[in-house]
Amino acid sequence: MKARFFVVFLIIIIIPFIIGIPFFMVKKAAASRQIIHFANDTRESGDGKTYKGITINWTFCPDWKYKPLLFPAEEYLVFMFHYTNNSEYAVQVMPSYTLVSPPNRRYSANEEIAMYIEDELENKLKAEDQTPITFEIPPNATKHYIVAFEKPHLLNHFYVDVDVFRDVTLRLYYNKENEEWSNDSNELVRKYKGRG
Amino acid sequence: MAMFKKIVKNFGPEWGAAVMGTAAICITMQLSSEIARPFSVLLYVGVGFYLLATAMFIVFLIPWSLRFFMYPDEIKKDLQNPIRGNFFPTMPICFVLAGTGTNKLGPILFGTWFAYHLSIVFFFLGVIGIFTFGFILVRTQFLNKEIRHKHANFSWFIPPVSHLIIPVLGACSMDVYWAGTSLAPTLFIISMIALGVGFFNFLFVGSAIWHRYIYADIPQGRLAPTTMVGIAPTAIIVIFLMKFIQAIEASQGNLFGINFMSIFPIVKIISFALWGFSLWWLVLVAVLFHAYIKMKDHPFVFGWWAYTFPFEAFVVATGLLAQCAATNFLQPVLITLNTLAVIIWIIVVYGTIRWLESGAFFEPQH
Repeated sequence: MKARFFVVFLIIIIIPFIIGIPFFMVKKAAASRQIIHFANDTRESGDGKTYKGITINWTFCPDWKYKPLLFPAEEYLVFMFHYTNNSEYAVQVMPSYTLVSPPNRRYSANEEIAMYIEDELENKLKAEDQTPITFEIPPNATKHYIVAFEKPHLLNHFYVDVDVFRDVTLRLYYNKENEEWSNDSNELVRKYKGRG
Repeated sequence: MAMFKKIVKNFGPEWGAAVMGTAAICITMQLSSEIARPFSVLLYVGVGFYLLATAMFIVFLIPWSLRFFMYPDEIKKDLQNPIRGNFFPTMPICFVLAGTGTNKLGPILFGTWFAYHLSIVFFFLGVIGIFTFGFILVRTQFLNKEIRHKHANFSWFIPPVSHLIIPVLGACSMDVYWAGTSLAPTLFIISMIALGVGFFNFLFVGSAIWHRYIYADIPQGRLAPTTMVGIAPTAIIVIFLMKFIQAIEASQGNLFGINFMSIFPIVKIISFALWGFSLWWLVLVAVLFHAYIKMKDHPFVFGWWAYTFPFEAFVVATGLLAQCAATNFLQPVLITLNTLAVIIWIIVVYGTIRWLESGAFFEPQH
């Protein structure tokens, strides 16, 4: 085979990867493409909730700016949830998350965005994100899960439903006052379990 | 200009397979990058494959499309061919894969709004192409009086696979962005129709091919790579089921009246069984590969690209299954398979360059 022919094709194939190198250097790019704010951590404020032997704490990072390579930055509402199993048995959990903003618009968590930003958040909080949608928490251990929501425009208040228990949903209420987000209240909301 | 015309004339329908084999690696990389911190960099390798696949797709789409207008007789000849004809849906599949890649990795490049809208455009283009070629091919097969048992081969799985891949992007789109919007029911209906068509065609066509493999000679060596296509249907159904369950979860646990908690255990069982079949088929491919090598009848042809995409679909199925079942077992399997997928891709790319250099491109084998 003619070496020149091979080299030309090799260059064509490698070009997309070479173009990407300045962008795809994970740590450097991540640092320059993300602006992070930490609003509150319930592990410090003691506002976490315990139900049926599982303590749920969360770290809230509002207005997290993530800049795509070719477009302007977009803002996200990012949470890292910390699940601690206080019982003497391992438990299997499968949490799901919904953000509800006025007027009752529901947003699902965006797994892709969570994946792009996870390294940065894991480094800051020294915690490792779980990737499976269902995972086991050994006795007296804590597992962490990163959740990112696209931020609706002109958002002043919202709540997040954390669905991890069979009979109740943990609902976290957030309000924006003087450009600062505050966690007003949290409650365990009973689920409807009828046939209708 | 004369050279360009010559390229267009000989640009067979099978070139979409090269895009497919490159595009799917971006998804296997993305899934592998999630396993642990040291693998994070694979996400960006995946973006490299995404860009490469996009460039290939655009470059290949031009001669592929022009051929319909400049050389309709060549197209008719290819459609009548029991092997080459089945490769026509590979280009519409590329639209669906481009949509899936854009759905997964597009937000890194374009942000969420643009990426999710672009992937929907790819979805509808892919759907139109896949259904159109599906009908054309089945009509051609039914009316073609020349087709015999000995023509059956695993490339016949490509049209069913093309239909099965539609619900994958449909479910990816229903997950997150389009969940709860008025577009979701349309995506759901199209996806379910495609799933039904793909699944039953897979069973019917599979029986015909099985019949040939038992009662007639196995195909000649240049068709050996098509054996790998058999791994794809069940692997793609696993991918769909996993994405669909995530779409239900994203819709607050209830999508079109389908309750997450009610079907998740069943989906896990079915998915694992289907994944098991694909694994069994992978061993079968190895057995037949060995047989062909022993017979010294396995030359490198462009058809070797058939070794890439179906295998990568199996890797993706493994990665998604690892997110909800047997995680500790499947995650190392995923990393191993992903490495193997890259090795296969490199071998096939090298072989393709040699194949092109030999001038075989201008001597199509029918």
